[in-house]
Amino acid sequence: MSNFSILKSEYGTYVEALSEALARGDEPGFFAAVDHIVHMREPKMFAEIRRLTGDLQKALDRFGIESRLADIAEHEIPNARARLTHVINMTDEAAHRTLDLVERSGPLAERTAREAGALLDALGAFRERAAGSGFEGIARSVEAFLPVVRALEAFLPSARSDSEQIRRNLAEVLLAQGYQDLTGQIIRSVIKLVEELENALGNLTRLSGGLVEHTSLGESPSAGHGPAVPGVTQGEVASAQTDVDALLSGLGM
Amino acid sequence: MSKDLKFLVVDDFSTMRRIIKNLLHDLGYSNVTEADDGKTALPMLQAGNFDFLITDWNMPGMPGLDLLKAVRADAKLAKMPVMMLTAEAKREQIIEAAQAGVNGYVIKPFTAETLKEKLDKILGAGK
Repeated sequence: MSNFSILKSEYGTYVEALSEALARGDEPGFFAAVDHIVHMREPKMFAEIRRLTGDLQKALDRFGIESRLADIAEHEIPNARARLTHVINMTDEAAHRTLDLVERSGPLAERTAREAGALLDALGAFRERAAGSGFEGIARSVEAFLPVVRALEAFLPSARSDSEQIRRNLAEVLLAQGYQDLTGQIIRSVIKLVEELENALGNLTRLSGGLVEHTSLGESPSAGHGPAVPGVTQGEVASAQTDVDALLSGLGM
Repeated sequence: MSKDLKFLVVDDFSTMRRIIKNLLHDLGYSNVTEADDGKTALPMLQAGNFDFLITDWNMPGMPGLDLLKAVRADAKLAKMPVMMLTAEAKREQIIEAAQAGVNGYVIKPFTAETLKEKLDKILGAGK
């Protein structure tokens, strides 16, 4: 049966009733037939409106996801790239700083060990020469002890200053490890972005099945932003401790 | 200055906690306890008699700023010296921390001298 014949069979009776009532001048009969026809149309109309609303909603959701994706692609991906480059620079800097300090400490430790060795040799020589007793023996001992004293005099000040320098270098090596915290914070922010991207793409795929999940990685305002990244962080950022001190003293601290 | 002060160092990165602990040790403070975020730190502060709190800002769970506010809101802890040691360096954040009652603010990366200077300043001012 064609579409029109279905319509004819569904509506035919009521259209006939309508025209008959019109011919008869039967007002209640006329309106009864009109009401009937309207009622028959209503469910189809509402179904159509529902479908249109659904389509509109989908389009809006899609638009929302797509504009967020566009925003991510346009701003946040380049930002993430700059952040990761900054991470490379920071790890590079920290590794070189650590290597420099290790390279500077090695010779100092070697010199201390070498001079301590020379001192031990001098002490051994003294023991050999100081053997014997009597006046002669004492005289020989005093004479033999002189090189040991000289070696001690030469060794102790340099051993002290070398060890102090090594200690200072070690303290700097310790501080250089702070890069792990700073780069870790930056990498975490990039991971968060990747997660959001994953969710947005997943939502876009699910949308065709009509399933939309709104996932936003909302954070409390007190959560913090992580380390400032050159060329990425916006707003006024204190670049050095002196800026922080100036700001705080301006606040009366 | 008393060197038996009891410190609580709060940072989510264990490397940074070790660095701070070592630096404090070098300055003669050996009584240092660690916590990895505000949520763990707060009950520790409430339970133990700490003298000084050094906290990071950006931590999962409870950020340092919230910890600072919780400390200031707790009658027993309200007067504890708190130092913020953080990479957060935005002007409005520093002002926010100051308004929340922070005693010192050091930005990462920092030097041993800066840490010492700020510690001395806070401990000197508290006398």
